[in-house]
Order: sequence, then C-alpha cells, then structure tokens
Amino acid sequence: MEQKAQIRPPVEVRYEKELAALAALDTGKRPLNWKLSPKAVRTFILGSREPLNWNGEEIPVRKKYLGNDALVERCIITLAGNRGLMLVGEPGTAKTMLSELLSAAISGTSTNTIQGTAGTTEDMIKYSWNYALLLAKGPVREALVPSPLYVGMEQGILTRFEEITRTPAEIQDSLISVLSDKVLNVPELGEEGLLFAKAGFNVIGTANTRDKGVNEMSSALKRRFNFETVMPVRDVSLEKQIIINEVEELAKAGRIDMPVDEDVAELLASTYHELREGVSSLGHRIDRPASVMSTAEAVSVYYQTMMTAYYYGDSHMDLGCLVQNLVGAVQKENKEDLEKLRSYFQTVVRDKGGKEGQLWNSYYEARKYLR
Amino acid sequence: MEQLLRGEKISAVDTGMGDHADIALFSGCYHLEKPVLYFPIRHHSPACAWHLKKTIEDYSPDCILIEGPQNAQEQIPILAHKETKAPVALYYFYKDKKGLLSEEKEDYKCYYPFLDFSPELIALREAEERGIHAAFIDLPYGEILIGTEEKKGIRTEGEKQTYNDDYLLSRSRYLTLLCQKAGLRNFDELWEKYFEIGGLFRTTEEFVRQMSVYCYLSRSHTPREELEADGCLLREQYMAERIAGASEVYKKILVVTGGFHTYGIMELLKENDSPAEPAAGKRKQKAGGSAGFLRCTAKPVRLHGLSDKDQGVYSLAYSMEAADALNGYASGMQSPGFYQQVWQRLLKEGVPDGNYEAAVLHQLVSAGRQARQKKESLSSYDVICALSMAKGLAALRGKHEPGLYELRDAALSSFVKGECSPSTDLPLRLLHKLNTGKQVGKLCEDALRPPLLLDFEEQCRVFRLKIQAAGQQEVVLELFSKKKHLAMSRFLYQTEFLGTGFAKRTKGADLLNRKDRNRIRETWNYRYTGQVLSALVDVSMLGGTVAEASRTRLLRDFAKSESSQEAAGLLARGFLMGFLEEQAGMGMHIREVLAADGDFFSLTEGFSHLRMLYELQELYEVEDSLELEDLIGVCFQKIVQLLPSMAQIREEQQQACMESCLSLYQITGRSSFSHFRQILLEAFDRLLCQPEIQPGLEGTVLGLLYGYDSSYDERIQRTAAGYLQGTDDMQMKSAAFLRGLFYTARDFVFVRENFLGMIDGLLAKLSVDAFMKLLPELRQAFGYFTPLETDRIAKKAAALHGVKKEELLKGRMVSPEEYEYGETLDAYAAETL
Repeated sequence: MEQKAQIRPPVEVRYEKELAALAALDTGKRPLNWKLSPKAVRTFILGSREPLNWNGEEIPVRKKYLGNDALVERCIITLAGNRGLMLVGEPGTAKTMLSELLSAAISGTSTNTIQGTAGTTEDMIKYSWNYALLLAKGPVREALVPSPLYVGMEQGILTRFEEITRTPAEIQDSLISVLSDKVLNVPELGEEGLLFAKAGFNVIGTANTRDKGVNEMSSALKRRFNFETVMPVRDVSLEKQIIINEVEELAKAGRIDMPVDEDVAELLASTYHELREGVSSLGHRIDRPASVMSTAEAVSVYYQTMMTAYYYGDSHMDLGCLVQNLVGAVQKENKEDLEKLRSYFQTVVRDKGGKEGQLWNSYYEARKYLR
Repeated sequence: MEQLLRGEKISAVDTGMGDHADIALFSGCYHLEKPVLYFPIRHHSPACAWHLKKTIEDYSPDCILIEGPQNAQEQIPILAHKETKAPVALYYFYKDKKGLLSEEKEDYKCYYPFLDFSPELIALREAEERGIHAAFIDLPYGEILIGTEEKKGIRTEGEKQTYNDDYLLSRSRYLTLLCQKAGLRNFDELWEKYFEIGGLFRTTEEFVRQMSVYCYLSRSHTPREELEADGCLLREQYMAERIAGASEVYKKILVVTGGFHTYGIMELLKENDSPAEPAAGKRKQKAGGSAGFLRCTAKPVRLHGLSDKDQGVYSLAYSMEAADALNGYASGMQSPGFYQQVWQRLLKEGVPDGNYEAAVLHQLVSAGRQARQKKESLSSYDVICALSMAKGLAALRGKHEPGLYELRDAALSSFVKGECSPSTDLPLRLLHKLNTGKQVGKLCEDALRPPLLLDFEEQCRVFRLKIQAAGQQEVVLELFSKKKHLAMSRFLYQTEFLGTGFAKRTKGADLLNRKDRNRIRETWNYRYTGQVLSALVDVSMLGGTVAEASRTRLLRDFAKSESSQEAAGLLARGFLMGFLEEQAGMGMHIREVLAADGDFFSLTEGFSHLRMLYELQELYEVEDSLELEDLIGVCFQKIVQLLPSMAQIREEQQQACMESCLSLYQITGRSSFSHFRQILLEAFDRLLCQPEIQPGLEGTVLGLLYGYDSSYDERIQRTAAGYLQGTDDMQMKSAAFLRGLFYTARDFVFVRENFLGMIDGLLAKLSVDAFMKLLPELRQAFGYFTPLETDRIAKKAAALHGVKKEELLKGRMVSPEEYEYGETLDAYAAETL
C-alpha cells in the first residue's frame, strides 16, 4: 500500500515509530497477546514529557487524546478485563479517535472494524460465505468470509464496532453471546465450527446518543459493556489545542504548506465553546443552537477556511470566509440556529471586539456573511 | 518534588529548588531520644493518625501539645472521654464587641471537627489513656481573628468557617505542575497516593521525613507576606512560646501541629544553654525566653485581654455529612465515610496491607446492594468487574492499593449502564452517600452545654414537650383560654425565628401571611433532632436563653431593615414571640423606614402588618407602646400619595394591588380611621383619571367607589360595555376588569338587573377563540361569588336563553332506540377489532 497517497493512514502507520519505540522500551507486564503493557498504552495515548531514546533517536510521544486522562486509564483497564468497552457521547467528541488509538496500541491494528449502519446484518457481524467457493468445495473454512469480529476472536485482537447504535437492536444483540461466552458457533462447519476467542480479543464500541436515527441498546447487551461517557471538552485552551493539532495533521496530509494561526484557532474555539455552554467569557447568556457544536466541527471549519486561503487567497486566514463556513456548520438542524448565531455576533462578538482587540473586531465586521 | 516523595535523595532536588540547607535538618528531626519531638500532620489524615499512634507508643512522652485554640482546654476531657463518639466538633465563637476586627462589631464563629481518624483526637485519646498532660497551644480564637487580615485565612468569607488550615498545604503554585507530571487529577489524589496509601507502607521515621520535606517545600513557596496576612506567623510565635513554657515542666514533649506550621515553630525554638531542673509546678514564664530546655527566640505575643464573655468554646456532636469536604466544608477530608472504613480495618488488622482494597470492596458491595434495593439491575458480577477495575487502575497508576479515586472510577465504569446522566447515575449517587458516611457523633454525659441549650431543655421540660421521643410530636395550644399555652406558643415562635427547625405550626392563625386569622387554636408539630441541637449551639452566642437570643436577633435584624414590609414584618414577629416591651424602642426606626420607603407594595405590606398588630393589640388587650394609630396614619398617607401613580401595574402585581386597595378601604371604615375615608376616595378618583389604567385595578377601584356612592353604577356599566365592545385587545382586558369589579363589588350583579344581560349579550358576540382566551380570567372573576350566588347567576343567565336552571346540568334524554343502536355499534366495533 502506498502510504503517501492515502488521505488518512491508520493510527498504527502514522505513529509507527512511537509504537515500535514504546514496545522496545516497555518493561511493564502485558496482558496476554497485547502488543504493549497498559502503562505503555497510557503513555502512547496521553503522551510522555520526555522523548523516548530508541535506536539512537529521540522520539517524542505527543499527547494524542486531550481531555479526561482518568477516562483513558479506565478504558485501558476495561479492555484488559472481561467486558467490552462502549464509548458513548455527543458527536464529535473524539470517541472514534480514542478507539483507534486504543486498538493500534493494544493490538497493533486499528482497522479491524465493523461499521454499523441501519443496513448492517448479522452476517456482517459474524461471518458470510464466498459462494463460488462454497459451491465448489462445500462449507469449509476456506469458503468462509470472516467478519472483523471473527478475525478479532481468531487472532486475539480488538474488534472495533463503530456507531453500534445505528444498527437495529436485534442485530446488535448477536454480540451478546459472543461477548459472554467468548465463543462463536459456525454450525455449517460441523465439529470444527466452534471458534474460541483467543486472549487479547475484546470489543470497543462507539455510540452516539444524541443523533437522530439511533437505536436503544438492550439491557442484556449493556450489561456486557463498561460504559464510558465522553464529554465535550470544557476548557477553551484545550479545545484550541485540539483544533491546532488536528488541523496541523490534516494540513500535513493534504500537503498544505501553511502554518496554523493560533489566534484564529482560539477565536474559533471560544465561539464553539460559548455557543455550546450558553454563556460567554464576558458573562452574556447565549441561546444555544440546536445543532451539535462539536470540536470536530470546529476543526473542519478551520480546515476549510485554511484550504480556501491556501488555494484561492494569500495564505492568510480570512475571517469572512471563516464566518461563511461557520454558517454552513451551524445551520444544519433548523433556520433558527442562524438567528442564534447572528445574535451571538451582535452581542458577544461585538463586545469582545471592544475588549479583546483587532481580531475580534474583524470577526464582528464579517457578520455580513451571516445569511 | 516528585522524586522526593518517592524517597530519593534530597540533595538531588536541592539544585533545582534553590538553597535549602534547612531541609535536611528539618526532615531529619524525628529522633525518639530528643526531649521534644515534632510531629507534622494533616488534619483528618488516617495515615498521620496511624503513625502518630505508633510514635506515641514508641516515644512515650509525658506531655502532648496540640495545635488548637487554647481556650478549648477545658473541652479536652470531654473530647477524650470514652463515652464521646466521633464525629464531634469544637465550636468557637467570638463577639467583636470592642470592634477590634471591624467597625460593624460582628459575631464570628468556627468549627473544629474531629473524626475517629483525626490525629488530634488520637493524640487526645492516647494522652487520656496514658494519664499524661495534653494541651491546646494555639492562640485563643478571638486572638487568631484579630491577628488575621480581613478576608484571609480563618476570615475568608464562606458559609461555614473552620479552624482547620489544611489549605496551606495544597495551594502551592507548583502543585498543579506536580500533579500534571505525576498524572494525577488534583492535590487530594496526590496526597492519597503518596501519603495516605503509600504512607502506610513506610516506617514512621520515613513517613515523618517525607511529610516534613513536603511541608517544608510548600512553606518555602509561600511568600512571607501571605503567611503574615493569614495570621500564621503570629500563631506560630504563640505556639513556640507555649512549647518553651512546657519545657520548664515536662521532660519529653510531643508537639502535634499541622505540617505547614511545624517548621515555623521549630525555627523559633532554640535549645536553652542553662535550663533549670524541671519543677513540679508550672513556673511563670519569663518574657522572651524560658527556664526550660527550650527557649523561644521570638518576642512574646501581646494579647488583647478579651473577656470570657465575648468568646467561648463548646463541644458538640457532629455528623459525617457536615464534615465531608464535598459538602461545601472546604478544608475537611473528602469522603470521611470511606476513610472511616479504612481506619476501622487498619485498627483491627494492625498491618498496613489490604485495608484500602478491603474498604473499596466494602463500599462497592454496599453500593451494589443498595442499588438493587432500588430496583437497579446491578449484579454481583458488576461488583466483581468494578473491583478488578479498581485494582487494575491502581496498578496502572502505580498505587499500592486502590483508593478513593479508583473506587469512584470503578463505579463509574462498571455500575453505570449507558450514557452517564441523571437517569443512569443512581449507583454513583448511592456510592457518594456511602463515602460521606452517615455516622453522627455523641458527647459524653458531663459535656458542658451552652446555657442556651440548657434553657431550651428547661423550657421544654416546663412546657412538657416530649423532646426525648424519637418521632414527630404534636401539641394543640388554646391561646386565649390558657396562659401557659400562650407562653408556649411564644416559645415555639422563638425557636422558629432562630431557624432551629424544631417546631412548625401546622394549623392556626397565620398572622404573618394574614391567613385564617379567626382561628383561636394553634397546632404545632415538633421534633428534637441532631440538627436542632447543632442549630441551637450555632445561635448560642446570641444569648443565654432562647428568648434572649431571639430578642438579640430580632433587634439586630430590625435595626438593619430598610423596607416597611421587612420592618413591620419583624414587629409582627416580635409580637408573636411576646416581645412587647421592646416595641417602645422600635418606634423610632420604623418611622424612619416609613419615611424613606417609596415602594408602594412594601408600604402596603407594611401597612397590613401594622394594621394587624393594631387589631391584635386590641384583642390581647396590650398597651400600645408604639403609637400604632399614628404609624398607620403615616403609612396610609404615603400610600395614598403613591396610589395615583400605580395605574399601570404589571399583570402579576394585579392581585397584590387589588388587595391593597380593599384593605385601605376597609380600614377607613373603622371609626378611628374614618377621617381618612375622604382622602382615600379622592386618591381613587385621581387614579381613575389616569390614562391607560390597568383594567383589573380600574374594576377594583370602581367597585369600591360604588360601595361608597351608588351613583357610580352608570360609570361601571359604561366602562364594562366599553371593554366588552372594544377592539380586540380591549375585549381581552374585559375579564380582568370584571375580576377587579367582582373582587370589591360583586353585589353589583344582583343590584343592576340588566348588567348580567349585558355581559351575556356581549360574550355571545365573541368568537370562540376569543372566548377561550378570556375564559381563565373569567373563571377567576366569577370565583369571588359564593356557591349560592353562583347558583343565582346561573339561573339568571339560563333564563336569558330560555332555559331553566335545572336543565343546565342535564343533557338531552337518550331514546331507547338510540341507546340500542349505540350498543350494536359498540359490539360491532369490538368484533371488528
């Protein structure tokens, strides 16, 4: 696979060196079949203050998940135990990223994934058949097309189940017996049809709770998971940092040679933060828009503006363009959200213009694009 | 600092921290053979308590000196008594009568709680058991206050003040960095990891050394000005003096102080070159030094000679709930219930291993069990998963055993099913309660009680109130026939006014809200609980008896009152509590308040209170020392002045304004106020002249005027028709007008025969939508009629449409054929479905 052409290489490829260095220097105890010890997994995700010295090279380990450290620790311990891990929360709170990081660090791969949709069927979760082979050779292992769950059990690695609540509840339930007995029965294979899960197997699910079109999980399935609720970032400076980190990554991948403007990132982070919390840093009360104001959205607003500036502009972030992209991001659920955004500009942004200087002033002037 | 805490060489950090030559000296101060041993503690720390207990055993001192306000010395036997059960607290108060703290001459109070695992309590109990001397050595509470700058240290503004100054250990600016580096959430987690859990596994010497280093570093990062502002330096000087004093009498002294102060105190004490032999009795201390083996190098602290009347200390039973830092008691221990579990196991097992893990398991099992009782589906397997999560986290975080933070994390992870939200986090809330604990302390029999408490109990005995009973009691008072009952009612009102939560009137005249005034009996429910006791102790500085405390508070509140409503309300309360003689002194202030008050509603509220007082004084045949008639006159004049400007009140003010007008009108009907009648009517007229008067008010006032002069009937009729036939907006206001009118003159409907017909005719013209909008207020308007009157109105209204009254409530008769058809339909429907 040619890495460079990929839009977004998987975590284990992006951080190949870090993972290798961590594995080589890892002295902690490892659960069976884990690539790293829990401590090293923690270091991989939460970063290390000192760079690692490996093969005569200094390899810095950056903090990749900003937010709740204790949550990451709980996730790691859950995965070493008997229960699956379910990450729930609002859209755009980096649940998927966390689950990728965990799988890459623990199993060395983050691509063993079931992508849940309303059309997901039980054979996509368990196994299906290559019909040509099936007709030619009968029901043999060779003719079986394993699902990511099957692969996880067979190889002792993690299986990720994205957007699990988008699959119908009865399909979700096919996980129940697998998670409790750790065995998958393939009756067509006869006596050899019992697949016992190898140590190291577990499931990480991610689920949206706020979106339209999600299904409730059955209590039986819930009992087989430890739940972690991922909250939106509550700290503006952290949110700013996330925007900067993510945009840098995206720019690198998209070969956009333009530095991230920290002030603009901060401006965007405060806008998102304030609209989400319903109160400004100056104390204004703000009507919250109905659409989800996630950090991931903020990143994409920034990145779009950046691309416009890079390809059409003079490589400087244009606030007019930023506001236009912001409108596109906010006005999803209903028209009233635009009104709310407008009144945010007319109160908070105006007042901040007076207090916080030029950037906010130009931001306020860009309100003409709010339509 | 992190390396330090892990026990690496001190010199290794010295380079980074500047020159700390003293650190080695200080950290190596734990020598059992020395005549004085300093033991640094953190309040409510089980690990400190554990090591302190060991130290006392190993060192066997002949005297233990403890950081704590000195004026609590007499409370030591009570605290250390075998029958006293923790949690208990010392309650300090100080009345700033001389204005040494501020010009306001306020009262101050604070608590000093002790739990079973508070090192100070351990020290006191051990001293009691060994029969050795124990003493508190800090400045008396009043002096600490005087030595502290406003809004600093013990004078920080907050709900509940505490003597405990552990915040000193947790506010170093390097702590955030340290926590970040160690991957811990906050100071408390840091503390638990290294000192509470880790500390148990160290030798006492090593533990004290680490405590000393930590405390030394936190202290050296606190600027001297801050120490001064907080009153730390002054207190340390005083404590050092006391220690030097004790060295004249005792040979082996153990000094137990907050770790932050230990170094400050040690620095002030030098060994005496020529100590005199310890004498049997206590000698008078020389200024600036002592004849003992230690001398204090600081100047003696000059005290302010505070009178014993102005400050005092009581012991009181406390609760875990009040001691939990998470319940707003800022510098306490978090989750004392959890640490109580740890402590009990520690005492029972006698070894450091396994206690935290066992306590975590105990809490998880208990929370699981309670959740099951509340129909949550939590299985034993969930508990197993939670425990393994807690242990796993402890291993990952490098802790010897899982602690409070792992316990919480484990429950969050394994007990909450689905997204964590108020509908799913019941197990967490249960765990939180368990971690707080519900233990309530108890004092031994011979504990000194504040005089107020004794008076309360005595009064209850005299009135035969059953305060020993566990459940709620009820008592019915006949105020007018039995003098004792009147006195009792006053007593109960006093306890209510003091906010003790002891008694609540459930039936009877509610004079403050002017409800049920004609009742002659009062029913009270009462119950004596721990909270009542605490509340009583809390107000004990206001006076020696319940009556005195209530009086002090009443007069103080009254002097502060700024609105007529508030001031007159307090007068009424005073009357209920039987403070009749005090009224004479209150007249002046209420006049001032009345003169300054320009708020119509406050004035009318005040007016009602005054009027009620006036009526009551007649009823109880009380001498009028307030010249109430005169006061009411002043109040009345002011209201009448403001009345015309009240035309455009808001809708929510309508009721209050209507009531005020009626009340004003009624009082002018009394002979003593009849001379106001004309003034009031003129004011009403001026009010009606205002453009855009609020319709409800217009109706009320017109009704009142009609009551006085029936020639207003034409005007009423015209106005009502005007509203009902007006433009859409005006139509909507007609119901409010009728409501006002019927409130004061409902007989109008019966006197003016055609009025009802007019209303009916106009209502009939309204669209259905408009009528539905009017309906709620119309209902209110007709709600002022008695049932009999409503009946009459209905009859008349029915007659207008050619229907008889009886037919109104009945529907059309159903013919047997129709009924039969209906039944067949029903059966068909059932069959088809």
